[in-house]
Amino acid sequence: MTPSDPGGIDRADELLDEVDLELLDGIRHIFQATDPMPADLPERIRFALALRGLEIEVARLAAEEHLPSLAARGAERSRTITFDSDSLTIMIKVDANLDGTVRVDGWLAPPQLREIEMKTSTDSLTVTSDEQGRFAFARVPRGTAQLMVRPEDSGHSGAGRSVVTPALIL
Amino acid sequence: MGDRTPVTVRANQPDHSERIARLVSAARQGSEGALGEIVTELSPLLWQVARAAGLSTSDAEDVLQTVWLRLVAHLDGIHTSAALTGWLVTTTRREAWRVSAAARRQVPADSEVLSALPDGGPGSEEQVIIDDQRRVLWQAIGQLSPRCQKLLRIVAFVPRPDYAAVAAELGMPTGSIGPTRGRCLAKLRVLLAGDLEGSPQ
Repeated sequence: MTPSDPGGIDRADELLDEVDLELLDGIRHIFQATDPMPADLPERIRFALALRGLEIEVARLAAEEHLPSLAARGAERSRTITFDSDSLTIMIKVDANLDGTVRVDGWLAPPQLREIEMKTSTDSLTVTSDEQGRFAFARVPRGTAQLMVRPEDSGHSGAGRSVVTPALIL
Repeated sequence: MGDRTPVTVRANQPDHSERIARLVSAARQGSEGALGEIVTELSPLLWQVARAAGLSTSDAEDVLQTVWLRLVAHLDGIHTSAALTGWLVTTTRREAWRVSAAARRQVPADSEVLSALPDGGPGSEEQVIIDDQRRVLWQAIGQLSPRCQKLLRIVAFVPRPDYAAVAAELGMPTGSIGPTRGRCLAKLRVLLAGDLEGSPQ
């Protein structure tokens, strides 16, 4: 799709002089200063990518909503987050526990029995959804976390792809 | 040569393409470290691409994660630094469109290019510390067309050997990024020259 064209590179470069390069350098510094990438983003991306060797299907963030928490404890709110992939919709609700961890209730659509892993920076928790597609992690440490829905028949190779979400901050 | 400005150091990395190609090859063979290095190197560019497309910071973060996750499935078809940068820029733009198009948020695309910049009025010094020279430059950028602003913003973060690939991905035939970028830079230089003439030195 991208023709490799060294001549094109040369032509493009020929049009730049020292002043242009300094201007581009200045522009880069300005945007680095005024609209910097969050410093922890690459780390979160690396965390989310630590699943090499797997066949994966990427679930995109489809919606996120903050609801007033019924527990009404301080500023704590309940979040619902929806992820969509080609084969699956994953919806989760995140509530704060009193001990500082969070509870995650989730639903898979279409409903199905699947093994679901919650990877956190310290740990990895695994639960199984019921026939209605419901699953729950009672206590998840706060911080970076990523959901992975295992292939239906993970015992056999080629049985399906894992569906993974981006890393999110709980 | 050794004490040249950062731009020269950055521009003349003869081994940039080779190094990235090696990292891509290692990543394809399962090296998390190599993939991590690529993430570190190219995420700042993709951040600017996503933000120049008008995304909020949180949407931009999500889009970057999606793009890198998708790369894992596409590594087999990517062998050169130029192909990698091109694929990443294109995919970031597509994912950004996808998010913008989801009518949940109305984002005026082009007018938002410089929205993250303080307005340059009194008091903005407290928000962002930029030296005077940069302040003049940034005010000049603000007078360029949205297309030029976006182009220069992205190009400023592209490793030079990958310009041609990115030009193609930005919808400009290879080679034409030169003149297009040249026009934007030329306008910028005219604006800066006018500003310097008008200022008391």
